[in-house]
Amino acid sequence: MTNPAPQISSAAAPFRRDPANVMRLARMGAGHPTRLSFLRVLLRRIETEGWQCDRPVWQVDDKGVGHAVYRVQGPGCCYSLVAFAHDLPDDMRSDRVIATAWDATFTLFDGDPTPADIDRLRANVPFQEAGRITSRELTLARANRSVRLFAHVADALSQGRQPDKAEIAAVGYLMRTTAVYGSGKFGASDRARIAARPELNGPFQVEMLTVWLIRAFTVDIVEHMARVKGGDRAIRLDPALRRSLGVGNSTGLGMAPFVVRHPTLLNNWTIAREEALARVRAQPGATQQAIAVLHRALDAAILNARAWHSDHPVQIPRLADLRRDLALVKATLPGWDWTAPTPWDALWQWGEAHLSLEGQEALLSLVLEPHGALIDDLAQTMGADEEVSFRLNGAMRVSELRAILQQHYAWALAIDFDFPENTARFWYVSEEKLEPRLGERAREDGGSLEQPLCIARLASLLAKSLEGVDGDTPVATLLLAHPDHRFMVRRAQMAAIHPYAEIRDNLIGTDMLPIDMMRCKLAFFGADRFDPRSDRWIRISLFQGAAFPDEIGSGPRA
Amino acid sequence: MTQQPSDQTRGDSTAFFSGDQSAQMSQNEVTALCLKAARGAGMSWGLAEEAGFAASWLTARGIDGPRHLLSHLTAAQGRTWGDLCPKVAPGAWQADAGKTLCPVVLGATLSDHATLPGGLTSGAILTGPVDHPILLCPFLSVIAEAADGIVTLEWDGGRLDVDANGVTSPAALAAIEGQTAVTLRLSIRPGVAQPRPPTLSPAIAADTVTALNTFALRTTVPASDASRAGAGAASNDND
Repeated sequence: MTNPAPQISSAAAPFRRDPANVMRLARMGAGHPTRLSFLRVLLRRIETEGWQCDRPVWQVDDKGVGHAVYRVQGPGCCYSLVAFAHDLPDDMRSDRVIATAWDATFTLFDGDPTPADIDRLRANVPFQEAGRITSRELTLARANRSVRLFAHVADALSQGRQPDKAEIAAVGYLMRTTAVYGSGKFGASDRARIAARPELNGPFQVEMLTVWLIRAFTVDIVEHMARVKGGDRAIRLDPALRRSLGVGNSTGLGMAPFVVRHPTLLNNWTIAREEALARVRAQPGATQQAIAVLHRALDAAILNARAWHSDHPVQIPRLADLRRDLALVKATLPGWDWTAPTPWDALWQWGEAHLSLEGQEALLSLVLEPHGALIDDLAQTMGADEEVSFRLNGAMRVSELRAILQQHYAWALAIDFDFPENTARFWYVSEEKLEPRLGERAREDGGSLEQPLCIARLASLLAKSLEGVDGDTPVATLLLAHPDHRFMVRRAQMAAIHPYAEIRDNLIGTDMLPIDMMRCKLAFFGADRFDPRSDRWIRISLFQGAAFPDEIGSGPRA
Repeated sequence: MTQQPSDQTRGDSTAFFSGDQSAQMSQNEVTALCLKAARGAGMSWGLAEEAGFAASWLTARGIDGPRHLLSHLTAAQGRTWGDLCPKVAPGAWQADAGKTLCPVVLGATLSDHATLPGGLTSGAILTGPVDHPILLCPFLSVIAEAADGIVTLEWDGGRLDVDANGVTSPAALAAIEGQTAVTLRLSIRPGVAQPRPPTLSPAIAADTVTALNTFALRTTVPASDASRAGAGAASNDND
């Protein structure tokens, strides 16, 4: 897969934000979804191309156990979500990766599955990690009910009335996924096999398609249970209420290392968004239509912030900041001078001066919204062929490597790792559950088995090893003497041409918040309503307000 | 990575195999498992990444990369860096007397030095003895691609060519599979890579996966009350 760098027009270049500003964890942890987020990219394609969506199979019994198939067909492509519905006792319901059973399990099949395929999948997909899928499958996922809201909606519909709007708004989803695996996990298709397809070329498109179809299943299964309970009295969910439902997602520490392990991806996601902002800021004027879209987007954001709930001490003040900031934008916009030169840039600069990080990143999303024609092409640049940047350049001279460290890792070299608070933690993989965890170095064993996520310290150690080395020495010679630096040298060479590749904070420091890393990634997915459940565990919602498959194309419900 | 075939309670993607079963693995799984195993066997993270790359490259070309890597890791574990890495000198990259070279270290080092004086593009190299030299082929392919050439690997009793797309003679490849401690002559000449149809990845045997997992487990930290406490959400999931 070729992966051209986003085209940077000379007009927009001066408006780019500096990586030193953008790649700080506190700002990344204040990220908001934008029209370049992966689920928006998927929905735009589905709507533009008029994909046909249907549900050819629904075989679910009165206990809510069975399977269903949701099929989408675009130009030259066909994918099917195979959903298995289970009867899960409450005492087995856990969102952790170590759970062994779920309310529903899913796989996205490449094409139209035969009954034999379904039989094979039934023997594997419900067991998730303990099963095995094949290169015909693109994802493996599972979901648990929001017990309270699911019961409320099923009860209300079974009695012939619509559920309480406030109850739905308080939770926002009937089920939340607790894992959506792609990219060759458990025998599934490798990304390389499918990445050349236009509809899957962007990042996480199969995962987003999986979750979008799961959303349809969550409503179908609650309506099914209502019919079982209420018979002829049961009614279907009101379309507007249905639209307000998303799919929840519950995510633990396992997601956080991704943005460190995939630096070229992080760079390409970020540079696309930053280029989009720069293009908007470079606009010499504002059309009435763009201003109108901005106002509508702002009103939607205000409503969303009002409905967004969290009890977590980190998020409570951030939410207060966001609501205050959005109100300030609302109060400021009516008097905005759109006739001034580069009025979008002026608005952006006003935001940087007056808004919190939450508010600034929300404003970024708002100003992108009216500018689809200007920026949507950037979605095509957000994938990455990581093999291209894997090969290390051994001919590079130490002087050049030193210059790279000075230019791109000055933030890391400034950290004094002799202070215990700067090495307070370590990332490791637990032997018991093989999940990534974060340990306290002073109190827990295992620091010697640290994962290489402590990039700042690795850069610092490399810089120390370069001290006194002749600048003409090739990196190849250095690595013969210091094989331990191979990981960081490869990374530094990659960062030299990918300026947004590194999180510019100490990931083993005492005050680091893993949920900031997770929110950054989830915002690129298109997630909203971030609700931390601890400093390393977060719930979010996807696809709230989006169209359902049966609202696109002409596919009837089976 | 677990001994119990029905234990679902882990956050890892490695296949469950038991007995003499075997199964297809994705490239992603081969890379991840072999990287962890190589690290567990003592390689630095950066070299372990090279081991993952090499195993995956071979698997994509129909060769059981994980099995060859396992054979090498089993033989090489515990040996020091100085024992495994070549002495780089123009024309001859030798191991210390009585030692054998690690093919992953040699491959990465050949790749690092490819365009430097003493590297492959400046002249043929006599090297060895090399453990499991089939693991060298992925690195030779990378060098061939960068130089728009074809690398020839000769040993007592055979020779094979490697280009950007893979190994040009499967028969010659079969001759070197399973061989170890082989002295090699490497050279490069200009040439165009041959297009090759995609090859079916080989099924990986349960024994191979289990043994690589045993190495990989050495990178993990045993559970403690503190680690268990920090792993979940701070609240109940039944809401």
